[in-house]
Order: sequence, then C-alpha cells, then structure tokens
Amino acid sequence: MKHIPKPGWAAKAAHLALFLLLAFNPVTAPDRAAAQQQTFEPRIEEPEEFPDFPGREDTFYSCSACHNFSLVARQSMSRERWDGILNLMAERHGMAEVKGKDREAILDYLEKAFPQSDAPRGWQNPFLNR
Amino acid sequence: MSLKIEKKERSIEELYRDDPERADAVVFGRKDGTTRRGFLGGAGLAAVGAAVGGSIPFSQNMPAGLIPAALAQDKPAAPAAPKGPAYLDFPGKDKGLVVIGEKPLVAETPEHLLNDDTTPTEKFFIRNNGQIPDEAKDTDRWAIKIDGEVNKPIEITLGELKKKYKPQTRRMVLECGGNGRSFYTPRASGNPWTNGGAGCAEWTGVSLSDLLKAAGVKPSGIYTAHYSSDIHLSGDTSKPTISRGVRIAKAMEPESMIVWAMNGKPLSNIHGGPVRLLIPGWPGSASQKWLTKVTIRDKEHDGQGMTGTSYRLAIKPMVPGDKADPKNFKILESMPVRAIITAPANGAKLAAGTRDVALRGASWAGDLTVQRVDVSIDYGQSWQPAKLEKPKNRFDWQRWTANVKLPSDGYFEIWSRATDSKGKMQPHVAANWNPSGYGGNPFHRIAVLVG
Repeated sequence: MKHIPKPGWAAKAAHLALFLLLAFNPVTAPDRAAAQQQTFEPRIEEPEEFPDFPGREDTFYSCSACHNFSLVARQSMSRERWDGILNLMAERHGMAEVKGKDREAILDYLEKAFPQSDAPRGWQNPFLNR
Repeated sequence: MSLKIEKKERSIEELYRDDPERADAVVFGRKDGTTRRGFLGGAGLAAVGAAVGGSIPFSQNMPAGLIPAALAQDKPAAPAAPKGPAYLDFPGKDKGLVVIGEKPLVAETPEHLLNDDTTPTEKFFIRNNGQIPDEAKDTDRWAIKIDGEVNKPIEITLGELKKKYKPQTRRMVLECGGNGRSFYTPRASGNPWTNGGAGCAEWTGVSLSDLLKAAGVKPSGIYTAHYSSDIHLSGDTSKPTISRGVRIAKAMEPESMIVWAMNGKPLSNIHGGPVRLLIPGWPGSASQKWLTKVTIRDKEHDGQGMTGTSYRLAIKPMVPGDKADPKNFKILESMPVRAIITAPANGAKLAAGTRDVALRGASWAGDLTVQRVDVSIDYGQSWQPAKLEKPKNRFDWQRWTANVKLPSDGYFEIWSRATDSKGKMQPHVAANWNPSGYGGNPFHRIAVLVG
C-alpha cells in the first residue's frame, strides 16, 4: 500500500487556487496537461522510521531541512567519510556548520546507524526467498 | 487501533519494502546473522511484545525481513515484506520507474524498460539536483546567454534560436555520471543507481558550437560553465543547484547541443524543458537542465559538482573505503563501456522445457563505440558473441540480439559484456573504487527460472 501524505490546508488551498487558475484561464489544452506534470510530493518522513540511536532527532532534522532523510539512510560510511560529507554539505550546500559536541553527536549517530558496509547491493537474485 | 498506530504501520511496511534487513534492525533491533534466521534483541523483543500484546514464542526462528503478522494489520500473515523497489508515481512517466530519491526526485529505468530502440520519454530516467522548477509559460521568450571569454556575448531567446539556426535531430544516449554506483563495495556515497541512469532519445536542437562560433571564443577560453534556473534544495536562490562544464573541444563537437525537443515533442519540464544542454558521452550532469547561461572560462570550471571527488576518478588507485585525498582526483569525462540485457527481464519465469531464449539488449561507450558484445549462460565460463547493430549517428546506442540455448530446466543467470572500440572490456566487478562511486560498469546479469 502506498503512503500518500495528506497535504495540509495550505497545500489544499494552493491546489484549489491552481485548479481555479487553470479552469478559468483561457489556456490551451496541451498547456493544461503540461501544467499537471509539475507535481511530485515527497513522502513525509518521521525520525522514528530510522535506526534508534542517540542523536537521531538532531541528525534527522539537520539533514532533512534540505533533502529526504532516506538519502542519508541509503548510505553506509565510516565516521571519517561521514565527517567529510558534513564538510561538503557546509562548504557546498549552505548547511549551517555544525561544530563541537553537536557535530560529535551527529557523527555518533551516522556512524552507528549507517556504518561502512561491505554488504552487496545493486543486483539482487529475484528468486531469493520467493 | 488509533490513527497513530495505523500511520506507524504504514511506515513499517515502507521500511520493509525499502530494505528488509535494515527494517529489522530499526524496528526490532534484529540483526541477520550468519544464518538466515534473525533474532530479536532484548529491547526489540520487548517492543514487539508490547506492540502485539504478548510475548512472541519462537521469536528466534522468525526469519529476518518478515513483518510479524500481528503488526501487519488486516493483511495475510504471508511474506508481507515486498522486497525492493518503490515505484514512481508521476504524471506522464511510466509506473515501472524506480524511485531512488524523493527530494531531490531521482528515478531510474530498470533495464527491461530500456527494450525500445528509442527510449520513450515516459520511460526515461529522472535526475534532479535541486527543486523541480515551475513550468515555464512563455517558452519562446526563455533567454539563454553566452558570455565570459568571448568577443561578442550573446543573449538569445529560445524563439530566436529556433529561427536563426538550423535544427538537427540525433538519437543519443544521456547517462548519469553515477550510473552503476550501487555495484561498488564498500558502498559508495550518492544515489544508488544500478544500470538505469541511462536512456537513448531523439534530441532536437542546435549545436552549442553554432552559438559559440557566433560569440567568438577567445584563445583564452578553454572551459565551459553551465547555469540554470532551478532552485537549490536549501531555497537559497544565490546558490547554483549544479554548475558543471566541459573542455572547450568537447563543447565544440557538433553533437554537443542545446535541445528543446525530445522524441519529437517539446522538452518537458521534468527533463529540463523548455531548453537544456545535451553533452553526450560524458556524465549527464554536464547536460544542464533549464539552461540559462553558458560562460566561457579561462580555466577549468570550479562550479557546484566540479570539485572534490564529485564526478571524478582516483588517479592513484585507492584502498576501497578509505578517506579520499581530493588532490588525487581527475575529472570523469567519457563514460565507460556498458551493455545491458533488456529482454527477458531479470526474474523472468520461462515455461518448463524452454531451451531457446532470444536476448535483446543495448550497449554504449561514452565517446567511443562498442566493438562487440558477448553473452554467457554459465557465469562467464564460456561466452558467445551477440549480433551488434551500428549506431544511427555518433553517441547513439547500439542495440544487440543473441540466441542462447539452455541445457536444462532450472535457474540460469545470463550475463552480458561489452568491449569498446579501443578494446576495453567491462570488468566482473565495479572497479577503481572511489568514494562517490563513479565509473562502475560491471557485467550486467539477469536471472531466469525455467520450469
């Protein structure tokens, strides 16, 4: 079953406004069809979905301010490499620089929850446990 | 049950669909050990007990990756862990595309959906770096600038561009630089593409060189820098989502194009419309979507995605998993050779007694062509050549076919392996590990079950 996030009232109002705009604007049919292609609502994530170790909430909210946290959860890295990712996010993507104890707490979490892994991924036997 | 619990259960199911083993670790603290039997950790066991309202007998025999029936409300107790992919639900796109990131939206095309000679737009992969912009309304007024190390900077609208220069159409591969990343061990960071960050469409536009010649590139102009209108995920409008570039020689190739149509239709917003760059053979990130400007620079571009280990390979081979020294990296230009089997699909079940299997596939090799494709039904112990087609034009992919004969019923893996025009072959494993996982092009393999 697919989890469909329920848009809040503001989003609903925005959709209604868009609908009214499209419905009463003299635009051509292809334009209208094309305008529909805008929509993609990322699934709403909760910190509880992810491995439960100290620092989870701080890490979750620091990362998901910009991108979905599943992206983080799909990675597996050593503490050193995670540290490099935090630098990259600060230098390149405008993440507020995290220092001192806060940084250690986030690194503790990332290292524990998503450690460097040799577990293969990519191709999987489609008949395994069928 | 309360609404909260219901919501939680949905999350659990999604978690299991995504990665059952991790889901076990998350939900129950179970770790799948050396046997396929998982076990419930102390706290995890208590939590499950609380959730189902009692203790769980034989919990140590519960296979990893199964949602306990009592948690899977209203569902049969059966293996409720639909392993694997989350499928894309996006208007105008095939529902078989696999989402590998939601924000930014990234979706890949499973190999069996690349079975068409020309990849239909609805099956073409999606890669965004930033927010998906609002669709441009008056597309003919969309402006593109050429500036930097040129004699006469140009600002031209898409409408003028279409009138002033002769449009050309070519069928060319567009491939994400990280294609094949998921085959690296230890895991490389970034979007975990299998082979599906690629497609081959008909692109219509003009050569970028037409504009560069009109602007007159100065002798000091050696590199391009590409800019677009999409907004960084942070919402910071001063920050480019991505801004890559190529050596001027690549930019001057006739096939490096500014395109406004894909498969004969106006380029859709999700694919970078109304206008984007198409720099074939090199990492897709050089093919800027929602193109607004090309700046000619007097040095290698240092924009977003050009530095560190992004779109770069290690010069001196590094120990897999080590921290990288950015000084040891060079820019990835031409993409490596790759062949995929597009039919049958991985996981196909064939009727008992089936011996002859017709294979179809595609192959491509960055700036080069593919010299040969071989297939194996015995894990690479023996290979047979496939029938390989010629490309329609440079940077087109090359379709291939082969007929293999299976010796019996049972489980078979079929592997494909391409060799480029310089004699380089795909390796068994993703080679030359680098922290961001570029250049991964091991053999493609599918499994089929006969009978």
